[in-house]
Amino acid sequence: MINPFKPEIAVITEVFKETSDTTTYTFRFKDEETRETWSFEPGQFNMITVFGIGEAPISISSAPSDTGFVQHTVRHVGNVTNALAKKKPGDVVGIRGAYGTGWPFHQLYGRNVLIVAGGIGLAPLRPVIREVMRQRDRFKEVEVLYGARTPGDMLFVREFPEWSEYVKLRLTVDTVPPGVKWDHKVGVVTTLFSEMSSQPSNTVVLTCGPEIMMKFVVRGLLHMGFSPDRIYVSMERRMHCGVGKCGRCQIGPRFTCKDGPVFAYEELAALPEEVLGGVGR
Amino acid sequence: MAVTRTSSVPDMVVLSGELWQELLKLVTAQYKVIGPVRRGSEHVFAPVKDPRDIDMAYVTTILPPKKVFHQPFQVLFSFDTEEGTLAEEESGEEKVLWGIHPCDMHAIAILDKVYGIEYPDPYYLRNRENTIIVAKNCTEVGENCFCLSMGTGPALRSGYDLLLTDLGGRYLVEVGTEKGRKLLSGLELVPAPRVVLVEKEKRLSQARQKFKKRMITQGIQELLEENFRHPIWEELMRECLACGSCTMVCPTCFCYNVVDKIDLDLKTGKRQREWDSCMLLEYAQVALGQNFRRDRDARIKQRIYHKLLYYEPQFGTLGCVGCGRCIGACVKRIDITDVVSRLAESVESDR
Repeated sequence: MINPFKPEIAVITEVFKETSDTTTYTFRFKDEETRETWSFEPGQFNMITVFGIGEAPISISSAPSDTGFVQHTVRHVGNVTNALAKKKPGDVVGIRGAYGTGWPFHQLYGRNVLIVAGGIGLAPLRPVIREVMRQRDRFKEVEVLYGARTPGDMLFVREFPEWSEYVKLRLTVDTVPPGVKWDHKVGVVTTLFSEMSSQPSNTVVLTCGPEIMMKFVVRGLLHMGFSPDRIYVSMERRMHCGVGKCGRCQIGPRFTCKDGPVFAYEELAALPEEVLGGVGR
Repeated sequence: MAVTRTSSVPDMVVLSGELWQELLKLVTAQYKVIGPVRRGSEHVFAPVKDPRDIDMAYVTTILPPKKVFHQPFQVLFSFDTEEGTLAEEESGEEKVLWGIHPCDMHAIAILDKVYGIEYPDPYYLRNRENTIIVAKNCTEVGENCFCLSMGTGPALRSGYDLLLTDLGGRYLVEVGTEKGRKLLSGLELVPAPRVVLVEKEKRLSQARQKFKKRMITQGIQELLEENFRHPIWEELMRECLACGSCTMVCPTCFCYNVVDKIDLDLKTGKRQREWDSCMLLEYAQVALGQNFRRDRDARIKQRIYHKLLYYEPQFGTLGCVGCGRCIGACVKRIDITDVVSRLAESVESDR
């Protein structure tokens, strides 16, 4: 019987420090067959093991068409992610996945796409952006609104010039520290709504960030007339299995690991607000 | 349950006196048996060497027999911090789980769904496949039992390998599967006349009269859905200590935590899963200290709503089998049947 709890061994091939607390790791599966057959959907996650410390769910930040390797962009805030911070190229981790629902990628064909991300929430959306760049003709207008705490906390900055050739990229930060040059907006990510060009018609919205951010993003977009049945959110919950067994990630009757992390907004809107963790109370 | 006969052991026998003792001796000699054993004023499921230690008159046990399949501590694999996972050994010892009640059998059927669907759990399923279940219908009823109102007792209809019914000094033994029939194969047996089923039904209907507790199940889903913000939850929040005892003794609770246990050489270790509880503060906490169920009422509601509302869409069944263990284990005597009754009454009186 296949053991879903035993991770595949992967070797770190590259470590890139995105910000003071966030790193992008490139992994390569040790097993050749796994390396060649392993696949995923944008928006899915892996359970990443640092042997001796534990396991944590981390979304995949590379694209499905990036073959031969897989990338994870990790903010060092917990036991596993802090242990990962000490790893260098050549070190070994465990990976199992890919798990969960992805973004409704094929539904995006022929439509406008509006991506709204906050902080580390951009990581699971990077695979979408990379795929859009490779299959640009299949999509209509694509716009990315991205907010971070400060300019120094922005992820994937080195890729922004290339992204901007394919998608409209609008940036905002909560605060600009003294002496830092910043040509973009200041304020929470919803302040970008006033300048964005996305219109409700034929647009699918993908959002990921702190729950409180997503709440105001969805509220704002609904107010502007965006269709609730074309809004998708990616949720974070504690997980210890990734496969609907440990129970930790439940949101009402939903398991975030297998019914999510990407949910249709309407699926969550049907639940009492407190079930979502009471972030809005 | 369809039974194909492969041996001379009949589908239904009545054992008394010496034959009953002989069966117990045979089974305990041939298998690792886990059965109801007295410990002080309570009972537990424990390994049985001497058949005289089995107490068939037990009413309930501290922990449900779930622990045989979904173990409180389960090693998932061994690892080397530099190399990764290490090869594991599998133990395939066949066990007999003796004398479990219908509620617990129903709970195991629910866990079979939890662990069997989508990504089948190899640890649970291995334990399950290696275990022969001898169930026992309930002719006595405990003070906290409410299986009758949940439709999970006191009589069992399926799921067992062998089924026992106490007919007063003698036992009716019904064969459910070939695995169960195997246990009887060393005995000289004659088929029981069908008329003993009348005696069995008489005993079980007497048992049905003895229930003091019942759960209101009619309309329970609407009741819970419509009363998520009912004041009763705040009352419960003031009562409940959030100790997690109710979930630790629950036969259908499946949640677990996972820890890496590192050896003294700091190089090798084991990944282990351990029972966990949605009633505990850390359960829903994520990095940076955010907690999706920080407030106690949110955790109380999670437990009750999960059992009585969310199991249905998840696994197609209610998540409570009426064993009453959570009532007995609660230091504040919170009673899930009473919570639902009070909720229903207050809604009724508001109409």
